[in-house]
Amino acid sequence: MINQQLAELSNLAIVVTIVLYVLALIGFGADLASSSQRRSDARLAAQERKEAQEREMSPASVGASGAEAEGATAVGGTAVAARPGAASAGSAGSGAGGSDSLAPGTAGTGTAGETPAGSGGMSAQRFAFLLASAATVLHLIGVISRALATQRVPWANMYEFATTSTAIVMVAFLAFSVRRTELRALGTFVVGPVLLVLLLAQTFWIVPAAELTPSLQNSHWIYIHIGVAIMATALSILGAVVASMQLLQAKHERVLAERAATEEFPEHWGRFGHVLDRLPSSSSLEALSFRIHSVAFVCWTFTLIFGAIWAREAWGRFWGWDPKEVWTFIIWVIYAAYLHARATGGFRGSRAAGLALAGFVAVVFNYTIVNTVINGLHSYSGLG
Amino acid sequence: MSEKNPRPDRGIRTDDAERPGTGPAESGSWSSKPEVDGKRAAVPSLGLRGTLLFLWRQLTSMQTALVLLMLLAVAAIPGSLYPQRSVNPALTEQFLKENGRWGEILDALGFFEVFSSPWFSAIYLLLFISLIGCIVPRVGVHLRQLRAKPPRTPSRLTRFTGYTRLELPGAQADSLIETAHRSLRRSRYRAEVREEKAGRSVSAERGLLRETGNLLFHIALVGVLVCIAGGTLTSYRGQVTVVEGGGFANSLTQYDSFESGAWFDENDMPDFRFTLEEFRATYVQPGEAGKVGEPRSFEADVQVTTPGQEQESRTVQVNKPLHVPGASMYLLGNGYAPEITVTDPEGTVVAEGPLITVPMGDTNYTSQVVLKAPDAQPEQTAVVGFFLPTGTIDEQGPRSLYPDALDPQLALTVYQGDLGLDSGVPQNAYEVDLTTLTQVPGEDGDPVLIRLYPGQEYSLADGTTVSFDGLKRYAAFDIAHNPFERWILISALVAVGGLILSLFVPRRRLWVRVREQGGTTVLEVAGLARSDDPALADDVKALASRLSEAHDGQRLPDAAPSGHPEADASDGPREGSAQ
Repeated sequence: MINQQLAELSNLAIVVTIVLYVLALIGFGADLASSSQRRSDARLAAQERKEAQEREMSPASVGASGAEAEGATAVGGTAVAARPGAASAGSAGSGAGGSDSLAPGTAGTGTAGETPAGSGGMSAQRFAFLLASAATVLHLIGVISRALATQRVPWANMYEFATTSTAIVMVAFLAFSVRRTELRALGTFVVGPVLLVLLLAQTFWIVPAAELTPSLQNSHWIYIHIGVAIMATALSILGAVVASMQLLQAKHERVLAERAATEEFPEHWGRFGHVLDRLPSSSSLEALSFRIHSVAFVCWTFTLIFGAIWAREAWGRFWGWDPKEVWTFIIWVIYAAYLHARATGGFRGSRAAGLALAGFVAVVFNYTIVNTVINGLHSYSGLG
Repeated sequence: MSEKNPRPDRGIRTDDAERPGTGPAESGSWSSKPEVDGKRAAVPSLGLRGTLLFLWRQLTSMQTALVLLMLLAVAAIPGSLYPQRSVNPALTEQFLKENGRWGEILDALGFFEVFSSPWFSAIYLLLFISLIGCIVPRVGVHLRQLRAKPPRTPSRLTRFTGYTRLELPGAQADSLIETAHRSLRRSRYRAEVREEKAGRSVSAERGLLRETGNLLFHIALVGVLVCIAGGTLTSYRGQVTVVEGGGFANSLTQYDSFESGAWFDENDMPDFRFTLEEFRATYVQPGEAGKVGEPRSFEADVQVTTPGQEQESRTVQVNKPLHVPGASMYLLGNGYAPEITVTDPEGTVVAEGPLITVPMGDTNYTSQVVLKAPDAQPEQTAVVGFFLPTGTIDEQGPRSLYPDALDPQLALTVYQGDLGLDSGVPQNAYEVDLTTLTQVPGEDGDPVLIRLYPGQEYSLADGTTVSFDGLKRYAAFDIAHNPFERWILISALVAVGGLILSLFVPRRRLWVRVREQGGTTVLEVAGLARSDDPALADDVKALASRLSEAHDGQRLPDAAPSGHPEADASDGPREGSAQ
């Protein structure tokens, strides 16, 4: 029997979750914007100091200002810190502040931005991260209370599949970025899609909590097959976020490298470029994307195999080219192509990432169009 | 033959990372670049044999495999957009009717049988040929590699991952080497101590399982394909419809429809029989959670008899098929079978008993009734209309409001004339052509829609009577057997096992070198990742510090990150190979 109170609680939790995600998204967005602001401030300060240095040519301030300028470029998030002497540039900057009337304040904010713990208040990113964590906990409460209300797994229709898989995406993102804090800058690009899916689920796919239809009853494969499919979908979403960041970053790095020859402070894509400066390099994003996609590929393979076993128990054949089967097959083939492309000369990097994104397009198609428009045996959306 | 790439093994299906520089110990077999160059150079006149070889190399190249994979994905798309005959032939026919010429063109191109069409088959067959052409040589190479010793230690370790140089004054070189060797073996490396001119080194390798898994994955995929083909040739599948109280014995004549593979032998069909005792269905009732009328359970109680065994009672449900040796029976459909008796004007009973009605596709089981009474006199009679489990007749016509039989009723019209059954053309039992028939009027002479409730009887003007005697349910089962299913599953699981190995086992080499230099003992450790292996540098350093601690612990490890400034190996004597 359905526990209506718990079902209500679940709906409420999901709505509040959406509100919290909106706030977290604002926080992550503000963090990105302020990082852009910090960077241009630092650039300005460095330029002014340089001019001042040229004007004064006072031997005492030369060393300090030079080191400070170097420290300011390190704010961009590039690997300048490896250079000898740069590690002390930040403190040298604030120390040299006494001699210069304009530069110290701005340079101070610039360096403080790198280590939020240094500044007294909470940084926008930290705020957003905590908010996203709280939202994820509430999200999980929503999913679990739905499961308890219906006394079954919370993935029997599109709404439940969407809420559960986005919860997994968030948990995976938080797990990844708890230790690797530089990944938190990706927050906007993870919370954004999650929020989009949740809003779609809340407005178009929501159905009241109900018991299972006979085709989903009496089978433990609902736990295994759909559970793995949810993992696979969540990983595909994450992988696509990382792969698209990788593509943007690669392009950004290429242009910056070209312009670095002619410009002292190469600029590309304006504010968005500053955001990219703070993200990991395209090669480490590529490695992360590969790791996510290889787990996703294994999950999709299991989805197919377990689906085939279940189909054999339920429909008497392990494979029947049902639209859902066709599209999961397509997803599998595209991701297989991605893994192969990654090992092939001439396809590594951006082209392979393109294939990974093509795979994600197939995932989206499989979830939206195949569920709602195309008529097949996997008609569990619970809609109209 | 102008092919420049002499190695049949391209090895490029592995996803090894780029190696630094050209390691002297490398086999050079796992970069695709030489092959690309080789192919470019192979364009000029080749002769027949050369052309064939060139084509073969092209087909088995990674680029071709990639293109074929993408083609396979694209070619599968129409299979989900156009109604497939193999999935739902009725929808295909409907599409053809609605789309005229366009439909015919699509049909000729095979868009309604995508997955057995020549173009789809060509793509996957080429893909598998390419795959076989790729893995066969690699199996040979890999088997040799499994037997070979780890390659010798490169003379300069400085440029490799995690290079660490420690000076351990007074350390025993031999015992260090022994410890390193033991420690690497314990960590499941294949390790080998090598004598060198100025010292000794351990060369170790781990992760050959990665390539093993990769090969296993591809071989198992071929296995899946072969088993699917075998299953298609030997399997059978048939549909039966059984009314409550009715029975079924497994022989070809009992099936409503039946299809089997080319190598299927009718004598292999297992001998079993069953009777359907009862079929139960429950639906969401008003006031319950969920959409009213949505099904909640379907259960078919059957009495099964298999040769040499007691008769036993079983309940077949969705997801709970009945397995007997050599066949499985799946509950896939159900409906209502009202018991209708038709008497002709001469008083002869011309039709009697439960009649299978066909649900029209709405959720409430509005079902079509077609009853043919060819023996009726003076004219053949057909009764057509609807069975409604919870019926109403309003401006939308006769329809059912709820799937359960709460208010069962029949809405019928009686026709007379030539049913066309003697023409020799096979007819669908659930359809009748009304154009050659005339409707029988009611007692008052007007056309009449007969509405019958259980137990009622209706007499027409000419004396024909129709009665609704009772209601039964029927269940539709699929009976199928595919002797290769088990092997398909095993192949698929082997494939996924190989896949996991090939993706997550890091393949790496580690080297430890110890030598006396300027009065002190110098320990060098470095590694080479041959796949994505972010942990390698840490592992190298951990090994180095473990070794120095194990030695005596008197010196703190002077661990240097890669690119140690003092570690210029050219200072020392050049090591040659011990072999």
